[in-house]
Amino acid sequence: MKVTIKQWNAVAAWRWDMPEDDMCGICRNPYDSTCSKCKFPGDECPLLIGECNHSFHMHCIYSWLRQEQSQEKCPMCRQPFKAKDANEQPSVVEQSNVVAAAG
Amino acid sequence: MSAARRLARELTKLHEHLPPGISVALAEGFQEWRMNIKVLDDNPIYAGETYQLLFRFGNSYPIEPPEVVFKQTPEHPIPLHPHVYSNGIICLDLLDRQGWSPVHNVESICVSLQSMLTGNTKRERPPGDEQFVRSNRSRPRDINFLFHDNDV
Repeated sequence: MKVTIKQWNAVAAWRWDMPEDDMCGICRNPYDSTCSKCKFPGDECPLLIGECNHSFHMHCIYSWLRQEQSQEKCPMCRQPFKAKDANEQPSVVEQSNVVAAAG
Repeated sequence: MSAARRLARELTKLHEHLPPGISVALAEGFQEWRMNIKVLDDNPIYAGETYQLLFRFGNSYPIEPPEVVFKQTPEHPIPLHPHVYSNGIICLDLLDRQGWSPVHNVESICVSLQSMLTGNTKRERPPGDEQFVRSNRSRPRDINFLFHDNDV
């Protein structure tokens, strides 16, 4: 028997490599969603983990740290906020690949 | 815009769950909310009374703190406390630019104020209340409070 695939649609899901059900304490959106200003989640609106292990959307924590009154401290623990090394930042994990074939 | 998104999320959560003694009195739109708070233990200073908090949010909330004051209405007096002026202005470090953190929210502010009242034993207004209330024309955010005691 010979099957001819005329058309196929690939569907992929992703999430940040972070504990599930967690949200950014600043915007209160889930990590897998965007900060309050972005439209598209993922690499365009990444997360940033500090050396204190508190994490936020990068845009959220930057808008806080830019304020003079933040004194560049983490909003959670009030230690000076310093980002961890790039290789310790969360990355996107591919969760599943669903291929729906039609035709 | 970002303030509205954050507040919409907070409101959904407040409708699902509220801490004891705290309720939403009015939350239409994202500029001004009113919250009611009660002191739940039997502190005689606050027994049987409900207080109303008026929240005003700017566009940069939660990066900047909201303005929060007690509002006097026929049903809601201004609670007697050494950090609450008789016009409803509150002196609390977490509401001040220096003490604010963007991880605070409407609920955590209400809980903080509730516990500030719960722990109080002094039937007093702040020092200089009468003169402050008579002469102050600034909005709370423009006042530089001097935090002279950290134990009340």
